[in-house]
Amino acid sequence: MIRLSPQFRAAVQRSTLPALILLSGAMVVAAKTDQTMFEGLRTGIGDVAAPVLDIVSRPLGAFEAAAGQVRGFLGVYQENRRLEEDNQRLLQWQQVALKLTTENRQLQGLLKVVPDRAMSYVTARVIANSGGAYVRTVMVNAGADNGLARGQATITGDGLVGRLTEVGSRAARVLLITDLNSRIPVKIEGSHTSAVLAGDNSERPRLLYVGTPESVKIGDRVVTSGEGGVFPPDLPVGMVSATDGGILRVEPFVELSQLGYVLVVDYGLSASLPQPVLPQARPGRRAKVASSEETPTQPIAR
Amino acid sequence: MAIRDFTAPALPRVNGGAAWLVPVLTTIIASLLTILPLRIPGYAALTPALALMAVYHWTIYRPDLLPALALFAIGIGEDLLTGGLVGVGPLTLLVTRAVVLRARRHFVGRSFPSVWAGFTMIAGGALLGLWALHCLLEVSLLNPRNTVFRLVLTIAVFPVASFLLGRIQRALIDGPRLMRRH
Repeated sequence: MIRLSPQFRAAVQRSTLPALILLSGAMVVAAKTDQTMFEGLRTGIGDVAAPVLDIVSRPLGAFEAAAGQVRGFLGVYQENRRLEEDNQRLLQWQQVALKLTTENRQLQGLLKVVPDRAMSYVTARVIANSGGAYVRTVMVNAGADNGLARGQATITGDGLVGRLTEVGSRAARVLLITDLNSRIPVKIEGSHTSAVLAGDNSERPRLLYVGTPESVKIGDRVVTSGEGGVFPPDLPVGMVSATDGGILRVEPFVELSQLGYVLVVDYGLSASLPQPVLPQARPGRRAKVASSEETPTQPIAR
Repeated sequence: MAIRDFTAPALPRVNGGAAWLVPVLTTIIASLLTILPLRIPGYAALTPALALMAVYHWTIYRPDLLPALALFAIGIGEDLLTGGLVGVGPLTLLVTRAVVLRARRHFVGRSFPSVWAGFTMIAGGALLGLWALHCLLEVSLLNPRNTVFRLVLTIAVFPVASFLLGRIQRALIDGPRLMRRH
């Protein structure tokens, strides 16, 4: 082993901390100016960490399931009564739905409507969240190996969760609709007013560029518009929950802090997404760019 | 071996084996705990800054065993896994270490309330600093609500973390005799 003089060693030791602080600061600036810079490293680390996180997060799921069982056992009587009432109501709705489906099919046949593209789904488990960082993302335990691709919509049974932004071979990152960088083309159901759903890291994202804001009421349902062709149309997103000071906010249908399993929707369009932009060509945000530019040239099957 | 370089009263040698890895390992575990998907409403946004607690504790009691390079690596790993801006994690942890190192003599050997008060100041500085940094980077005034809640939660959880870390330190690194001296 090389013997260094004590003075030299002390000098190195003293300067390590300031040097690393400066390096971190420089990395922040670099990462901010070129958001694609660390993407390769990110997906790489994600792939390596995915099996570990997968295993570590499993006991949590088991624990939650056990707690849920205990809770369920305690409230079994009320739950049963509630379900019976629900069931009565839903059976009526089923009749209505069946009737409408038949009618809809007949009318579509009369009008020769081009059918919607078929969607396929991949189910993935959430293995990590953003842990207090100033982003709203989750990592899921599926990647390109399972057929996932950048830009695909992620949903649960309740509604839209977000969009895949980074896809490794075994893990992928979902940018939640509440993230500061998330922009989703949506429309208000009923009035068909189109808007852009913009996250701001709060629990309730805002509606921007609303066509006719005066027609939007609290309680209106917000669904994806499918504009830009990246997302399938009519995925439920949330409900308009506030109109204070002209800012419309949407309460998402999905409880985004309690995601367990999510579905990744393959709408057969992800290949048409622009690849990560080159830094010199476009220094802006990746997330803003990826959603709609360049894609309207794609044929939209509606 | 390099234990004596840091501070004037020489830190005791580590008991043995892989015990010197404990501070780094506990910091990694703390950092992992914050990204695990616990399904508690609002947890992702309000997760207490557990890694900050580990850095604070070890920088006061055993700065030799949690070197700056390890903090840098842990911070980068955290940023890459959370999807946050790369560099912010190590910046927070390293600046915390630098500040705690400077104020270390005020904390070593003090009663728990003053250690807690010290952490309140450090955590407040770190989390509000983070908020200010992100406001600057986004060129907009971000809502400080979550940051304030997160800070309160972090300060509230600290006694538990401090107790656990103290126990781990006593059991694995110092041995009971040496802790009493602090």
